[in-house]
Amino acid sequence: MSTVKTARVGVTPARVLRSEWHKFWTLRSTWIMLSTASVLILGTGLVMAIGHEPAGGGLGEVGDPVVLTLIGVQFGQILLPVLGVLFSAGEYSTGMIRASLCAVPRRLPVLWAKAAVFAAVTMAVSSVTVLTTFLLAQPFLSDTDMAASLTDPGIAGAVAGTAVALTLFGVLGLGLGALIRSVPGAIGAFFAGAVILPEVLSAVPSNAVQDAVAYFPARAGESLGAVQQHDGALSDGPALVALCLWALMTLLAAGRLLKRRDV
Amino acid sequence: MIKANGLTKRYGGRTDRTGRAGKTVVDRLTFTVEPGAVTGFLGPNGAGKSTTMRMILGLDAPTAGHVTVAGRAYAGHPAPLHEVGALLEARAVHPGRTAHHHLMALAHTHGIPRSRVEHVLDLAGLTDVAGQRVKGFSLGMGQRLGIAAALLGDPATVILDEPVNGLDPEGVLWIRNLLKSLAADGHTVFVSSHLMSEMALTAERLIIIGRGRLLAETTVADFVRDSGVTAMKVVSPDARTLSGLLAGPGVEVTPGAGPDELDVRGADGPYIGRIAAAHSVPVYELTPRTASLEQAFMDLTRDEVEYQAGAITHEAPTGATA
Repeated sequence: MSTVKTARVGVTPARVLRSEWHKFWTLRSTWIMLSTASVLILGTGLVMAIGHEPAGGGLGEVGDPVVLTLIGVQFGQILLPVLGVLFSAGEYSTGMIRASLCAVPRRLPVLWAKAAVFAAVTMAVSSVTVLTTFLLAQPFLSDTDMAASLTDPGIAGAVAGTAVALTLFGVLGLGLGALIRSVPGAIGAFFAGAVILPEVLSAVPSNAVQDAVAYFPARAGESLGAVQQHDGALSDGPALVALCLWALMTLLAAGRLLKRRDV
Repeated sequence: MIKANGLTKRYGGRTDRTGRAGKTVVDRLTFTVEPGAVTGFLGPNGAGKSTTMRMILGLDAPTAGHVTVAGRAYAGHPAPLHEVGALLEARAVHPGRTAHHHLMALAHTHGIPRSRVEHVLDLAGLTDVAGQRVKGFSLGMGQRLGIAAALLGDPATVILDEPVNGLDPEGVLWIRNLLKSLAADGHTVFVSSHLMSEMALTAERLIIIGRGRLLAETTVADFVRDSGVTAMKVVSPDARTLSGLLAGPGVEVTPGAGPDELDVRGADGPYIGRIAAAHSVPVYELTPRTASLEQAFMDLTRDEVEYQAGAITHEAPTGATA
């Protein structure tokens, strides 16, 4: 048997990143989810722009050029967390995690590398998609109240905020997947906790609860992606911090359990 | 070299909240697996073999005791895939990835080159299906991929959990030869099985457990001798004559299944062959009874079997009478 003499230094963070990068791109779900999300965001944005009534004031009018053209990110806010769950919890449902942790028995580098690869790729894809959608939609809106340029105040920030929120939603999904270790369980937890719970809580007639709801991922994401804030919504800084904390705390909890639990 | 010392795995704590005692799956196992030999890890289903192997690999944390590979806990090795290669009982592969990409993903963690991935795919006979997704693999191909992954880092120690499961006869022979050649090259080879007959053909050393406890740490040769299994099946057209020649103190000859067949206990193959040759009695067949070896293993583990088929009783179910 030939011996592998080369590169016996062993496991390094860069190598674990390389491995997770390879894992990410060699699954069909990655390509399907990322391209579907991009196409839906772009398509919805163009439809909204073309169908926009120049007079304004119509039914369901959205008074925000970024929210209007990027309304399709709602698809992304479902697809990217699901992709995140598949990338992390999918290792448990298939048994791949045993091979991964035999290769990297210190365990935590696997989770950090997974999150880093996922965040970098979704950030890149989200940014390109969101920016392209906004720029392609604007020519259809040039003579309307929704005409806007990236140089207008707040516009570039809202476009970037939309991409950041999409990325953090995805990372939250990845963290939940690593924490719950089950694909359906993590997807269920994501919808229950991040999407449905704030809606239910917003019906509670209490100011404290209303204030708290603004910090939930879905609401914080809305705030980040809007030029004009609704009443009671967070401003960009706190919204970004809230969303980052949701993703980070979930990842840290997942890391803590990964270190302790049997596989 | 694998060294386990007082290795214990208990689930559910000493007593759980309902007051039931926790389940001890591995119970104070102490053993050593030496390099240069195939060591068989034998035990009935549920004896704790897989759990022990997972503890060696750091996938499960021991409740008590410790285990080292090459002098260190598995997770303490900077390049674990070069120290230990493992095939675990369940598939550890994402079915949506191709065999090649699965191995590449593992190889990247250690900077193992693509040429090595192709080499182990070839070794496992998977080159033709390397580009196919694992989803479509048969049980045997899945096992071959698991073995390719185990050999990926050219590890000094190889741990295989029930490697012949699902393999066709050609695959079984391939595994036997592979394990023997690895051991001959000085590797530490630790292979679990619930079949004594398979281990008798492959292993030199044996570690036998039942219900998580060590029952025997021995060699195959010693096990065969100590178990008193020396029954030989002898087929000869002159069985009657041979029977008379062989029978004597310590040798018991009984008629076998066929008219020309004898069951001989207390004499080994060379002895029977020499006697027959000396008296010019033709012998058509001279076979050790491996079923008896299996029997000796079952006798040893009888009290330790986790899931034993109960005797079928014909009592009327109580309270069922009209």
